[in-house]
Amino acid sequence: MKPAIGNGPMVEEAQAATDVIDSKRQKLALGIGLAGWIVPGLGHALQKMWGRAVACCLTVAALVFIGAGMRGNLFTSEGGDAFATLGYLADLGAGSFYFVAKALETNGPDVSRADGDYGTRFLAAAGVLNLLAALHAYEAARGRKA
Amino acid sequence: MSLHLSHLQAMLLFAVVISVAFGFLSRRPAMERLKYILWSLGLFLLIGIGIGWVMYPFSH
Repeated sequence: MKPAIGNGPMVEEAQAATDVIDSKRQKLALGIGLAGWIVPGLGHALQKMWGRAVACCLTVAALVFIGAGMRGNLFTSEGGDAFATLGYLADLGAGSFYFVAKALETNGPDVSRADGDYGTRFLAAAGVLNLLAALHAYEAARGRKA
Repeated sequence: MSLHLSHLQAMLLFAVVISVAFGFLSRRPAMERLKYILWSLGLFLLIGIGIGWVMYPFSH
């Protein structure tokens, strides 16, 4: 005699257990994504994706160093317009490297020359790239093929 | 700390760094990843220089 397949108590228990695991996995993935934002590459390192971790860290670091070296503008929260706010959000995407860039720019930005303009773009690209990497780490932690 | 790069050097550096990052974020075997990085780098440079030449008549 075959067991009845339907909404039995065992099926409900199994479903509840799956929901708990999914919820824990989701929280873990969020934590990994956050870690990846704060420290470039950390999200991948926590999942033992060493190649990607090193690549993410080095590429974000390179963009920050080059951008700060070219005296690009590092936007702050006190921007007066939408463009400055967007720039701030982009720069903040680099996580802790935002403060590294701030520390490196001892002479402040100089956007009167092309160098400074390029530097501003490099710094923004560092932030956006790090956000992409953090999102990638989050998706990988959720089990999505990445 | 001060870095002075020409337009071409800045574009080249940017293209290399972004191509490497994209290459490593994609899910590919090692050889395919390298090919993708080189392809992406080539496209960056082609499009960057191409757009520069397209804008050239308007700069004079």
